[in-house]
Order: sequence, then structure tokens, then C-alpha cells
Amino acid sequence: MPSRPRIIAPAALLLLVSAAAAETPPADPAVAAKVEFFEKKVRPILVDHCHHCHSADTKPAGGLRVDDRNGLFLGGNTGPAVVPGNPEKSLLLKRIGPENAKRRMPLEGKHLTEEQTEIIAKWIKDGAAWPAIRIPASLGKIRPEYEQLRKEHWAWQPLTKPAVPAVNDAAWARDDIDRFLLAKLDAKGLKPVGDADKVTLIRRVTFDLTGLPPTPAEIDAFVKDSSPNAFEQVVDRLLASSAFGERWGRHWLDVARYGESTGPSRNIPYPHAWKYRDYVIDSVNADVPYDRFLREQIAGDLLAKAEGFAKAEGGGQKAENESGWGIFSAFRLPPSAFVDRLLTATGFLALGVKDVNQRFKVRFIMDNVDEQIDTVTRSILGLTVSCARCHDHKFDPVPTTDYYAIAGIFTSTDNAAGVRNLMGGGGLAYYVPDMLVKLSGSAPPADPARLAKLKADFEEAKKAWDAIRGTPAGTKIAANGQPTQRPYRLKFEALQTELNSLTDPAARGQAVHGVRDAKTLADTEVRIRGEAEKLGPIVPRGFLTAFTVPGAANVNPKQSGRLELANWLTSAKNPLTPRVAVNRIWQHLFGTGIVNTVDNFGVTGGAPSHPELLDHLANRFIADDWSVKKLVRAVVLTHAYQLSAEATPANTAADPGNRLVWRHTPRRLTAEEIRDATLAAAGTLDVKRPGGSPAQSLRMVEMLDNGPEARTINEKADASMNRSVYLPLLRGVVPHSLEVFDPAEQTLVTGNRDATTVPSQALYLLNGSFVRRQSLILAERLLKPNASDSERITEAYRRALGRAPTKTEVARARAFLDEYESESRQFYPDNLAPAPRRVKTAEPAKVEEPPFDPDQVDQTGTPIHEDLIRAKDARTAAWLAFTQALFGSAEFRYVR
Amino acid sequence: MSSPSAFRLPPSTFAPSRRQALKSAGAGFGMVALAGILGEQAKAAEKAAVLKPLAQKSPHFPAKAKRLIFVHMNGSMSQHDTFDYKPQLVKDNGKGGPGGGTLTASKFKFSQHGETGSWFSELLPNIAKHADSLTWLRGLYTDTPAHPQAVVQMHTGSANAALTRPSMGAWLLYGLGTENQDLPGYVTINPPPNFGGAVNYGSAFLPAHFQGTRINDQGYLPNLKAQTEADLQRKQLDLLQAMNRDLAATPGAPEAVDGVIESFELAFKMQGKVPELLDISKEPKKILDAYGANDKATASFARQCLMARRLSEAGVRFVEICQPGWDHHNNLHKGLIDRCRSVDRPTGALLADLQQRGLLEDTLVLFGSEFGRLPTQQGVDGRDHNITGYSMFLAGAGVKPGVNYGVTDEYGIKAVEGRMHTNDLHATLLALMGLDHEKLTYNYAGRDFRLTDVKGNVVKEIFA
Repeated sequence: MPSRPRIIAPAALLLLVSAAAAETPPADPAVAAKVEFFEKKVRPILVDHCHHCHSADTKPAGGLRVDDRNGLFLGGNTGPAVVPGNPEKSLLLKRIGPENAKRRMPLEGKHLTEEQTEIIAKWIKDGAAWPAIRIPASLGKIRPEYEQLRKEHWAWQPLTKPAVPAVNDAAWARDDIDRFLLAKLDAKGLKPVGDADKVTLIRRVTFDLTGLPPTPAEIDAFVKDSSPNAFEQVVDRLLASSAFGERWGRHWLDVARYGESTGPSRNIPYPHAWKYRDYVIDSVNADVPYDRFLREQIAGDLLAKAEGFAKAEGGGQKAENESGWGIFSAFRLPPSAFVDRLLTATGFLALGVKDVNQRFKVRFIMDNVDEQIDTVTRSILGLTVSCARCHDHKFDPVPTTDYYAIAGIFTSTDNAAGVRNLMGGGGLAYYVPDMLVKLSGSAPPADPARLAKLKADFEEAKKAWDAIRGTPAGTKIAANGQPTQRPYRLKFEALQTELNSLTDPAARGQAVHGVRDAKTLADTEVRIRGEAEKLGPIVPRGFLTAFTVPGAANVNPKQSGRLELANWLTSAKNPLTPRVAVNRIWQHLFGTGIVNTVDNFGVTGGAPSHPELLDHLANRFIADDWSVKKLVRAVVLTHAYQLSAEATPANTAADPGNRLVWRHTPRRLTAEEIRDATLAAAGTLDVKRPGGSPAQSLRMVEMLDNGPEARTINEKADASMNRSVYLPLLRGVVPHSLEVFDPAEQTLVTGNRDATTVPSQALYLLNGSFVRRQSLILAERLLKPNASDSERITEAYRRALGRAPTKTEVARARAFLDEYESESRQFYPDNLAPAPRRVKTAEPAKVEEPPFDPDQVDQTGTPIHEDLIRAKDARTAAWLAFTQALFGSAEFRYVR
Repeated sequence: MSSPSAFRLPPSTFAPSRRQALKSAGAGFGMVALAGILGEQAKAAEKAAVLKPLAQKSPHFPAKAKRLIFVHMNGSMSQHDTFDYKPQLVKDNGKGGPGGGTLTASKFKFSQHGETGSWFSELLPNIAKHADSLTWLRGLYTDTPAHPQAVVQMHTGSANAALTRPSMGAWLLYGLGTENQDLPGYVTINPPPNFGGAVNYGSAFLPAHFQGTRINDQGYLPNLKAQTEADLQRKQLDLLQAMNRDLAATPGAPEAVDGVIESFELAFKMQGKVPELLDISKEPKKILDAYGANDKATASFARQCLMARRLSEAGVRFVEICQPGWDHHNNLHKGLIDRCRSVDRPTGALLADLQQRGLLEDTLVLFGSEFGRLPTQQGVDGRDHNITGYSMFLAGAGVKPGVNYGVTDEYGIKAVEGRMHTNDLHATLLALMGLDHEKLTYNYAGRDFRLTDVKGNVVKEIFA
């Protein structure tokens, strides 16, 4: 059974039309007259007297806008401004009347005349008619080409069970994967190149599986081990190491557009985001089945209830010793921690970019919903469903009604990231503690007496601030050149922060950014042309109609529908999810996906180079209980994975892109790998998980790119010796040691990173403090033991490049070291070292008075520091130059 | 997202479809793929493109403007107190305004300048000297009266700050490349650290080498300063390059090794050239004085203006400079005096300097804010945001001097004629640079994206 009617016929749609959009069928002359009355008499009054502070072109003062029907009906912060048919209950009339002289609207400019007030009263009494939104005739009609696209495009056809092909050289193949690849090569008359040597192979597989270089000892052990399963043993060791989850978890964080702040507009930190990061890494290490992993992220909160781990409404809670914990016993968590883990998983939906400065709540909500739909559909399905927000998808069979069927699931879900939208505002104004997901447990209660006093002080400060805020007296410039109201605001904010630190579970570390079902569960309206305010017909919650997922359940009307969405996405019958997943795994091991557009399996995406292999892998993945580790293991044990990188002219000419996998394509290391490998070579890498993130100490207050918070974060990132995956990743504040090597764009689903070669990388490698410091540490380490220079050079090569140098290379290095040292001596006359020191590279030109408006940020003259790293003597300087050259070499940053 | 030191050489700067093909060849190893597609001859050309990825590209049609300088008044400068004179506002001072509020005329004196008789207030005496060479866009409007979205829209075309799109400068580099391969092609000086921050000079889904290089107002760029003596660094570089050449010679070596070698040579050159270029101290005293570089009130912006001129002169495609602090909801009077003092002389000198050097022949200057302010009073001494009508000016290559395009109503609230949305402004700027905004597309996530999305009209009326 399809999950819901294929597509709603136009007639059916009209029946579902919400009251909102249906109120004025233009044919009815009575209604037409009311609308005319509104246009001729009422709207001009609203425009002339209210738009100044309550419209899309200005601002929604008090949360109210009068240029939109729903804006008036839903009202602002104090309730509905217009109750159709009921002037007495309509706040609008109260506020424009003389009742409350001090707050009488409009606050600025002329009050309304009696006649004008009566016009508005009459309009409300007559039902507050508003011109209907024109619904495009095409809405709900199936585009003629869709039916064909559904039938023809390969990606959403059910998985096939391709037969394993026969190959010319049966002995070459070690696995069916090899047979699929070899058959294609046979067909083109191409032969794969020879195998990679063992030193190359262990470097390749160690980076691919763990993001780290093999240690010299690991290389030696593998080279010496001539047993037939030597490589298998290496692979199993790597799969079992926690470094596997740190690398492969990072792959998922790329597509999950992971970031520790809201990003553009006003950048508010997500101080608890790291818990989601750790959840991902731990899940990968525990090899949580991929389908389960996805279900947890979309509906962890609902899963916890459905499975009895958390208390469901009217249900019990599973005891610790009860069966049903299944493979999760690996986590050895008590039930409460188990639930926390599931709640943390939903961070996937909450940690996206948010425009908290969005003035209109409805737009804020719909933009966030769109961000969720985009992330979910591109990461899991490889489909760009968000293209259907404003109109039917131009290329793929995704009608707008499908988009809003899914949107209804997310509008029925609280995006509990802890922020709200607000136009302007400083301090904690954007932070809403209730809009976080609370974890289990509780911190010891605060001292009640202190709390009571603080609350009283806070209330008083709030009252004083509210009274003076924005008033003429408040904005008047005081003797110190700042507005009179500024001390009031500072006092209010300080007390608010202090109060929060005692009362807010989040401030005490017991909350996460996640999602939960909203109080109101409902289908949502199509938004005409994607405009959040323009309500069209309601669409029942559901999933895509581009393909059928047999057996998928419809949305549970008593919940948001995320659980059913998660089940629909991860059904073994869903044609896209397993294909997209195995394609991503393939890309990470071979450099290019079988479908090269890894985030787009739609009509505009690439065609698979090996469609049968793709389905073979997908079937295998499902049969192996969606185990990522098992699939990775199978792939790296193929003959194809272990080929050398050598390029033969004939093969290059026939298949320059190596799409047919006749050799191993070299790849540049990622930003994280380059940093980790540098630390590993220098012996400074701390492989332990640091616990948390430097971002966790930040408050949910706007952070400037160059403010003290960002500076602290940068400094902590610079000082960290932990693996790169644990560096703080606030949007817009990329760690210096990652930024030049194309880290994931944190605002977008990134299935495929760029690997550019640019001079800023060379400058970083030549002059950057991080590289200089690690080079110095390695140089000093090499110089310490009693060894010959040749032995030292060999050790350096092995640490940095994973291989011993040739004789020529040793000779060249020795000559370099001698010359460099002798030329350096003049700079170290008495061998006394300038220790690493911090230099100001830019002097502040002026000291501005502190800005009284946080938006009036002037960063001119902000001093910038750079660490100058110098060796202690000429000999060390020479070795520093040598080790730094190794880190700068192309060989260091490529794996073959 | 944003590397401040990101003048980057890409693996390629091909047309979108070509780039897709490259991606298919594996991260960064597209050259091999292309060799086969294009044959041997083409291979050499494409390889050159790989090594000089920001190489100049032909515009879609001939255009005078080769370079753009955006003088960004961040926070929204009040046009009513500077360069939009409305007699009716003076007449109706103190009366209620349409849509609410109390009409409040400027307290600054306005007078006419040049043969065109353009009105300027006393706050901008130096910019006023250029009255006859400015092209005014006086019917601008935008979508959101809040700085974060408006600043982001000004730079990326998209009002939805949650939707990360490439910045205008990134699009220009993507479309045109840059004239001087030894310099970054897109430099942003002192950009706002909020209001979208790095998004305003980012490349979003365009390749990262198209993003802007951020420089602070002191001319600081990270990692540009060698930590050892030049001779020693060259010696080290020689060893490094010898290792790279060894690798390049091994069969099956990544082809990008050539790019690595090139990138180090370029970086080494930049270390010398870029600081020299950003060091304004060697400018003649006459020039420094003209910009106000030695006057405390104007020094910061003078430095920015001088760096902008020097970078443009050296062939940088797009330079943006920024003066924040115009958001005068209060303290309008004193605030405007201070702010205008800091930018008027440097900006006037920049225009004069560009003209004197003949640079205005092929350099276009854009001056203004993300939106304007209302003619009504806010609080005791302030003006609120206005997105329905505001002004910016252009000067230099390709535009008609002394022209007013568009007009707002009698009080300067709403654009009534010659209305130009931000998308229209972008379409027009691209056209002035020789690019068709409908053809300058990039395929991402299965769709062709543009700076102007699905909108934008070119205002040809201002073309010289």
C-alpha cells in the first residue's frame, strides 16, 4: 500500500482548503462587496496609520503586523488583534481608542478619527473580509511528465537483484564486487594495474578507515607479516579502533551540516551541539545499524517511547534487566542514559542554520522546516525536495503538495534548538531555555534564599529596563556619551545571566538541541509560491509520491509523524536510502561515487557507472543489517581497493577519470587528516576524546566573528592537541588549522568536499604558527636521542611520510641540513634562543568609545596576534626547516 | 566557510558542466579526466587553467568596467541628512507623516553643487566636489528592514539569511577571473563581523577560491609574514620543491602535484608583493594628506580607501571597503557629524585619485548602505530603517555621470519612479562588468543558481 493517496485530485484539494484561504470565493457578490469595502476604506487606514511600525516593510512592533490577514488574526504578543465578527474582543479597536491614553495607537503620529474607528469596527463586525489568496490553477494537478519520470528514472525503481557477471580472469577477483568491476573492464578491453606495495597499502587503508597515518611500528609489523590474512588483520584492527568512528562519524557530520552555532544573521552558539557530535562518533564505533542510526536522528524521542525505554503516555517504562535492549547492550547504559542518547540523536534536525533575526515567526518556522526538509532529503535520499517549496520540482517528480505533506510533519515538531526569532535584541534575548530538550537527571538545587533574592532583583531590574527602554528619556545621551538607558540594560542582562546559571537545566549541562512533538499536531497548508503567510489548501501529512515504499505506515495522527517518516525512509523497500548510503561509502574509499553526484540522485544527477554493482552493494548492506563496518570491510578487502595508483597510458586514454576502477585514484587528505597527521608525526597528538567542546562554555548570546568569544574559541582550537573532529566548529569561526584545506561548508549538506590547491595553503604551510610549532617539536624530538643524522632523517621520513627515504633523499637532506645550519649561524651568534613569542602584527590605531548599540560594531583597529616560532639554535633551526619541508611536501598531503 | 586568507588557486575554473565532470573524476583530480575528454592539445590549455585558475575570462559582452570598488556604509547612512534633499519635507517639518511618525527635516544645511546642481548637506563637502561625476540611483528598495538580512542580501542577493548563497564578488571572480594572478582577485577590507559575517564575502557552493580575502583595516593578512630570513626560506623551499618534483615524476603521482609546486612559488612571491601593496606609507605626503591618512578622524577610512586604490590599480577585480556605525536610531546628530567626517574626505580623495590616474575609465565605484532611513523622527534624535526607498551612487566606468535615476516620493519614503530592487542593482552591476546575470549560472544540487535568483532587470538608462 502506498503511504497515502498518490496525489490529491484538484477537487479533493478544494475540499481540504482551509478556512483561511477559502473565505472569499470571488463569485459571491456579497463577499465581493465586503472585500471592496476593505480595500477602499479599511486598508488605506491601516497603511496610513499602522504600517509605520507593523508591516513587512517596516517591523512587527509588539509582534504584530497589520499588512497580513493572519498577522491580524493571530495578533501580536498580547493576543489576536482582530476577532472576525466580534469588535469587542478585537484588541485592534481597544488600542486605537482613547481607553489607554498612554499606549494609544499609533504611538507616533495622529490618532484615528471617530469615523475611521467606526469603519474598522464595521469591517470587523462584518467578518473582517480580506481578499482571498489566488491559488495557482496548477496546484494539485499532476504535471504530465511526472508519471513518466516516476516510471523511468532509475534511482527510485525498486532494488534489483543483479546476477554476478562472469569475468575473463576468475583468479583476479576476490569478491563479487571485484567481479562486477572486472566485467566492465573486460567489456572495454582494459586490464587493472598491479597491486599496491604493502607500505602504500597500509598508509592508504589507515587513512581511509581512521583518518590517521599508520605508526612506523604498524607499518613494520604489516610488512613483516607474510601470512595470507595479514591485511585482513590490519583492517579488523582499524575497524575496531575508536579512530574509525572519529573519521566515519565526521563523514556523517559533513552531510548533517554539523555546526555549533546558528550561523548567518546573528550567530548564536549551540553550546550542547558537541553531544550530538559524540553521539554520531559513538554510534559509528558501535556499528549501530545505519537504518537504526537514521531513525534515531529523525525520531529518537518517539522511538524511546515506542520501544518502552522512555515513559510513554499511558505506558510503562522498560526495566534495565528486561529484554529488548538488543545490540545496544554494547553501550551499557542505564535506561535514562539510553533515552538521553536517543534525545541527543535528534540534534540532527535542530542544529541547522537559523536566521534568528527573522522578524516574522511564521517565516522563521517555515524557513527552519525548509532547512530540515533539505537536510533530511539530500543526506538520506539524495533528493532536492526543498526545490518544491515554491513550485512543483522542475526536474524530479516532487509536487509542491509532497513538500507540504512532509512540512506538516515538521510544523508538528518543535525545533528545540533553544532559540527564538526576534528582530534586534542583545544579550540572551534570542535564548529560550524551554526550547531545548531536557535530559534526564538534575543538578543539586540552588540555595533557595539566594534564588529568591536573585529572582526579586531580576524582576526589579526587568521592570526598570522595560520602563525606560526606548523612551525619549532612555535614549537621551548621558554625560558619558552613552544612552541613559544603557546601565539599566546591562544590569538586567547581568542578573538574567546569573539567574539562568542557577535555574536553567541547560546552563547546568542537562539539555541538548533537539526536537520533540509540538503541542499542536496538524497537517499544514501549502504556502503559495513558498511565501509563509500565503496559505493555500491543507495537505495531509505524508511522504513523497515519486516512488512507493510497500508496507510503510501512514502518519500517526496522534504524533508529528516523524516516526513514520523515519520508518518510511529506512524501509528496506525504500529504493533510495540504501543506494545513497552505499554510494557514500564507496566514494569515501574510491574517491568517486558510483553515482558521482552523491547528494543528488534525481534526474539532474549523474548516472551510475556500475548500476548493478550499486544494487549489489545495497542488497548486501541490507542483508548485513545495514552494518557500515561490514560493508567497509568487504570493500577494502576487494582486489580493486588494493590496486596501485599507477596510471598506464592506454588505460588513461580509455578512462581518464578511472570511473571503471582500473587503478586506485590518489586523494588529497582532508583538512582534519592533514592536521592530525602533522600532530601524529610530531608525537603531540592526543588521541583521547577531550570531553565536550570549547563552545560549551558559551552562552546563547550573539557572537561576533572577531569578538572576545570567537577569539577565545580560536585560541582554544589553536592550542588543542586533540583530533580535529573535536575542534570547536562554530559557523563562521573555522579553526585556523583547518580553514585552508577545504573543510566542510557547515551551512550546507556536503557529501563531497572540494580539494583545491591554492597559495593560501602554501602560505599556511610556510608561515603558519601551527605548522612551525609542530615542526619545531618534531625537530627537537629527532635531535634528542643519540643517533646519526641519517638515522634521524629516516625517522623523520617514516613519521611524516610513512616510508623510509632513499639513499639519494638522505644525501640531499644531509646536504640541506649542513648548509642551512651554517648559514643560520649568523642569526644565532651565541646560540641563545628567541623563545616562541607572540607578536602584534597590527597596532590598534585608535580606541573607540564602547559602542552603545551592539550592532554598531566597529572592528577597525582590532589588534591581531601571531605567534613567532623560532628554533633555539642554528642546528635546531635547520632541522625545523627540514621537518617543515616534509609537512609541506605534496607527498605528505596525498595518499596513494 | 570563510577563510580570511583564501586567495585560492582552484583545480579548475571551468564552466559548471565541466566542473561536474571534474568532480566525477574524484576530488581534485579532474585534469586526468579532461585530458581524455578534450584530447592532448586541449590538455595543455586546461592544465594552464589549473595552474592559473583565476585567469581572466572573456566577459559575455564588451564592457568598460574591469574592476569594482564597493564603498560600504554599513548600518544605513541617513540619506535625508546627507544627499537626498526634499523641499516638501522641510516645508512639512513637524507634521504627521504618511504611515505614521512625525516628519523631521534635517538639521544640516543643504546646498547645490556643480553644474548639475546636485544637493548635498554640509556633512559631505568633499564628496560634493564630485557632484557632476556621480550617477545616482534614487529609487532603490530591498526586502528586509533588518541589518542582518539586508546586508546579506546586498552581498548575495538572497534575503533569506538562512540560505547561504555566493557573494557578489565570488560571482564576479567566477565570471571574469582576475587581472593579476599574483594577487587575490577579491579583497574585502574591514568587513562587518556580524550581519552574516563571512557569508558576505563567501563563495557558498561556488569553489572556495572564489571567496573574498579578508583584510583588516591595518592591512593584515594571516600567514603572509615569513618567520625566517628570506634566503633561508628560499633554501627550504628549494628542498621542498625538489621533493615535489620527485613525486611528480613517479608514475601514478597525483597530477595536482604540479599545482602544489606552482602554489608554493606563487605564495613565495605574494609574501613580497602583497605587504608592499598594502603598505600605504610610501605614498607621497600630498596623497596621504589628501586622503586624510594622518588625521586621526579620517585615518582609518583613509587607509582603507588608499588600499582600495592600490589594489584596484594592481588589478584586483573587486575590492570592498567598509565603514560601520551608521545605525542612528539615536544620537543621529552627533553620530552623523562624526561618521561623515571619517568618510567624506577619504572618499572624495579616492574618487579624485582614481580620476587623476585614469582609473575611473575602467573602474566602477559603488557607494552606499544596505538600506536607507525614514524622514520621520525616532525617539529624541534618531531615524528608523527604510527599505522602500533609498539611494546609492555609482561613479566611473560605463555609467553616465551627473544623472539621477529613480526618485522617491515628496518626503523620500517610497521609491515611485525608476524603482530598483537589490536584484536589479546586481543585474545592472554585472552588466556594467560585461556579464549577463541570466547567463552567469552555476549548477548546484541539480539546479542552475544565479546572483539574481529568478529576478533582476538591467537598468540600461544609466549606461554611458
